[in-house]
Amino acid sequence: MEEMDQVIQVFPQKLRRMLQQAKTADFQAEELRLRAGQPFLMQARGREWFLMEDGRCWVDVGEMKAWRQPHCFYLATSEDIHNTLELMSRYSLYAFDRELRQGFLTIPGGHRIGVAGQAVLEGNQVKTLQNISFLNVRIARQIPGCASHILPWVYEKGRLCSLLIISPPGCGKTTLLRDLIRQVSNGWEYQNHLDQRPLVTVKGIAVGVVDERSELGACSYGIPQNDLGIRTDVLDGCPKAEGIMMLIRSMAPRVVAVDEIGSKEDLEAIRYGKNCGCKLMATVHGSSLEDIQKKPVLKEFVQEGVFERFIVLEAGGKPGTVKLISDGEGQCMKAWKGMRE
Amino acid sequence: MKWIGGCLVILGSTGFGYYMAQQWKLRLKCLEQLRQMIYFLKGEILYGHTALGPALERIGGRFKNTEGEKGLSALPLFFLAVAKGVQRQQGELFSDIWKKELKQLEDTPLKEEDISSLKGLGDHLGYLDLTMQERNLLLYLEQLDGQISYLRTHLKERTKLYTSLGIMGGLFLTVAML
Repeated sequence: MEEMDQVIQVFPQKLRRMLQQAKTADFQAEELRLRAGQPFLMQARGREWFLMEDGRCWVDVGEMKAWRQPHCFYLATSEDIHNTLELMSRYSLYAFDRELRQGFLTIPGGHRIGVAGQAVLEGNQVKTLQNISFLNVRIARQIPGCASHILPWVYEKGRLCSLLIISPPGCGKTTLLRDLIRQVSNGWEYQNHLDQRPLVTVKGIAVGVVDERSELGACSYGIPQNDLGIRTDVLDGCPKAEGIMMLIRSMAPRVVAVDEIGSKEDLEAIRYGKNCGCKLMATVHGSSLEDIQKKPVLKEFVQEGVFERFIVLEAGGKPGTVKLISDGEGQCMKAWKGMRE
Repeated sequence: MKWIGGCLVILGSTGFGYYMAQQWKLRLKCLEQLRQMIYFLKGEILYGHTALGPALERIGGRFKNTEGEKGLSALPLFFLAVAKGVQRQQGELFSDIWKKELKQLEDTPLKEEDISSLKGLGDHLGYLDLTMQERNLLLYLEQLDGQISYLRTHLKERTKLYTSLGIMGGLFLTVAML
């Protein structure tokens, strides 16, 4: 099933009809945004689009000077958001309590729905969200082969290096990591980038994935719906810090992959993994290596040499476009100009 | 001829009285089964954090196998139909699916008031957090308990009343007609 078909299925009938009429699937959208009382917005082809009031088509915000004619656009209602949320949670919002506390839930296909509204506090902790009035549907896409051009740079003497993908939000770090996992797990072939020797075959190795937000594997009843390779074990919906420890103890992976690290606990678990001899593949929000080094705990990690490769993604380009790859000391190994090779 | 007619009237009204008594018993059995199913649903939701679709499917399937032979398959089939509606993902609201499938309970011994309170349960199921689910289910179980204890308390007298009223009514009609 196409990604957009999966996404459209979780909208209520009225919105579903409009999205189908407006041929939303043809846009290869990256995001759909619903805000109570505001126009229904789509991010696609590097631009913003508004849904017309009759739901017949999307119009480019820039062309229409939307802010001058808000009456022309379909304005999302609180009821739309309420009903969409009910459908997205498969009528079981209670089953997504933990995810809601973190501000998102993941639907089949690995698409992430960001939510915002009124936080309900218990002590200093967010207990849940109520009066949810903002939804951001981020469409996940598998791009098989999108990591092929960087694979030779993340191996050294036929051995995988621990790597960290650094990227601003929405630039395709999860897509890139997913393809890296698949290729590392299956094994791959390449021609040495230095002396153009004949094809070298790299054998696949066991990869353990801690998929806290179900975005990498998009598991349904524990079975990944996305292709993560033949030697990949997935721990779905488990907090990263605990998951890394569990996987290392139980499944003996050669590589552990996690998406969006950041907390101190995550990093401690990564250190544990490194000390156990596992290689690591992780992603983090940031715009450059310098940016990462400003964060206290991550700075420590960079200095310790936990990661041997840093892959920085291009902001504003196609999802998964790599800007540069640096070694563990931050020395640039390869830089790309704009487009994915 | 008159005597044959009289006998048929007595037989018919006795049968009707017996049927009414059986309906009372069956309604009680149905509500007891429903209570058990709601307890299972509560367990699935509270302890397994299972989404409504799979939870209803599991409970419906389980009860269909065990209770189906006893002629009590209407409620399990209702649960299975709702689960199917949820999985179809047609963009309907849960309360609409629940309401639509409730129609198949109209031909069961359940009374309109039973169906209406079951409808009320469906209106609030699934939304908000676990505490709300628990409260909603407990409230419904309380209603069910009240209904079951009323039916059970009056079971003997009602069955006796219906059967004897059937026979007596038949006799009265026969005498009146003769």
